[in-house]
Amino acid sequence: MFMDTLDVKTQFDHGLLPRLEADDRARQEYVKSFKLHLASKVAPGNRMAWQAHGETGGDRKDVRRTLSHDPFFRFWSSLQRNSQEMMWKSTQIPVEREHATLMGRGKAVKSAGGSLRLNPDLEIPRYHRHVDIHCMPGGYHTEFAPDDLANGAVYDRAVYIYAMGRMGPFNSDIGDTAIAYLKAHFPDLAPRRILDMGCTVGHSTVPYVDAYPGAEVHAIDVGAPVLRYAHVRAESLGKAVHFSQQNAEHTDFEDGSFDLIVSHILVHETSHDAIRAIMRECRRLLRPGGVVIHAETPPYRDLEPFDAFMLDWDTRNNNEPFWEASHEIDPRAIGAETGFDPDAMFEGVQPSAFDAAEAERTRVFQGGDFGGGGMWYVWGGVK
Amino acid sequence: MTTLQKKAKGQRPRYFEDPAVEKALSITLALAGEVSVLRDRLDSIERLAERGQPFGPAAVDAYVPDAAVRAERDRRRDLFLDVVLRCVHQEVEGLSAQAENADYDAAIAAVAG
Repeated sequence: MFMDTLDVKTQFDHGLLPRLEADDRARQEYVKSFKLHLASKVAPGNRMAWQAHGETGGDRKDVRRTLSHDPFFRFWSSLQRNSQEMMWKSTQIPVEREHATLMGRGKAVKSAGGSLRLNPDLEIPRYHRHVDIHCMPGGYHTEFAPDDLANGAVYDRAVYIYAMGRMGPFNSDIGDTAIAYLKAHFPDLAPRRILDMGCTVGHSTVPYVDAYPGAEVHAIDVGAPVLRYAHVRAESLGKAVHFSQQNAEHTDFEDGSFDLIVSHILVHETSHDAIRAIMRECRRLLRPGGVVIHAETPPYRDLEPFDAFMLDWDTRNNNEPFWEASHEIDPRAIGAETGFDPDAMFEGVQPSAFDAAEAERTRVFQGGDFGGGGMWYVWGGVK
Repeated sequence: MTTLQKKAKGQRPRYFEDPAVEKALSITLALAGEVSVLRDRLDSIERLAERGQPFGPAAVDAYVPDAAVRAERDRRRDLFLDVVLRCVHQEVEGLSAQAENADYDAAIAAVAG
């Protein structure tokens, strides 16, 4: 739509980004530069530090035992953790200042036909109340003002900085990449109703509106602030999405009401029990022949032990308590556990759809280098 | 003005024995960031001045660097980080040399017969 004039190196201003003063922009750009510098020039020292211990074998837990007390690894970890905390600070400052203006913008946006349904009585799941995921103060659900959308605005901008722009001007790379996988492997799928689970600000949801014209697109999340933001963001982009505040483990949609259920980096932010409940709910919600697909970073079994160790950094250093266990999920096994036919489960890796970022990718999967690998892992099943 | 939560819920990992070292490093990194913020601001002022345009606070806030200027700033920040993180890069170089030496020992072993 905007492709003739789109600047692929800048986050697209869809009308809900806070106004940035020069220093806000510079502070955010610094965090982006700091993260890229760490990923490309400092993180590679960890492998050398590991080799300096005379180690080259073992599994990722052996690598952890070797490196967890290594001074280089610990210092890099501290730099990485600081980059994450600085990222949140740099995105919070303009949102704190511009929040009232942002809340007003929703009223001025011309409707694209989407909707927003909130449920103030929804119980926020324990796995979101226990720690603030990826160190975002307040998580997706905390409200700091009436009709709050602050953490939606914080998250949208932070995703862009976290991925160092490598998920595109709309932060849509994971959605675009999952769609590319679906188009290649399920070419006959013509969904009439699509559900995106754990949609946050809808950056992965919106691509489905264009990918499947005529489909009714629904999206759910537990956090009201991200949903309020997602709704205005989608409307301002002219995309009709029906957002509602629900827990993916048990929704209020009717049996068999969707042909396609998708999620993008949802799985690792749930729990052992929750992802199983979510898969059972997907089975209930899908029509026969319907497809569920989850997009994530690759499972540890597909990585070298050292790379798996580096990708696992987030588990203990970035408030991602289910990161490690979620990277050990076996699609066939979880399918069998949750009522799917194991033979109807699938998995694969799909090259990142946003190829304009190729030059900035490190081609490795490691903590603090989100989007650097240049591909996403997808798994799911057919009912 | 809305005040947001400052700390993410959850215990912060400890990377150093002395908690004061954690704080001193965090403050140093934030200060380095603010130097970069000032440098970008100065760059905007220089570019506006060169064009004979006003470079007061409002003009600097309104100035949006184009792709070429952003790329130039990215390169300068990377060099700035090379300078600020000098001791870390020296350590990486040392580790790399150590890895090469290990390879050389292996080379000796390989020809030892």
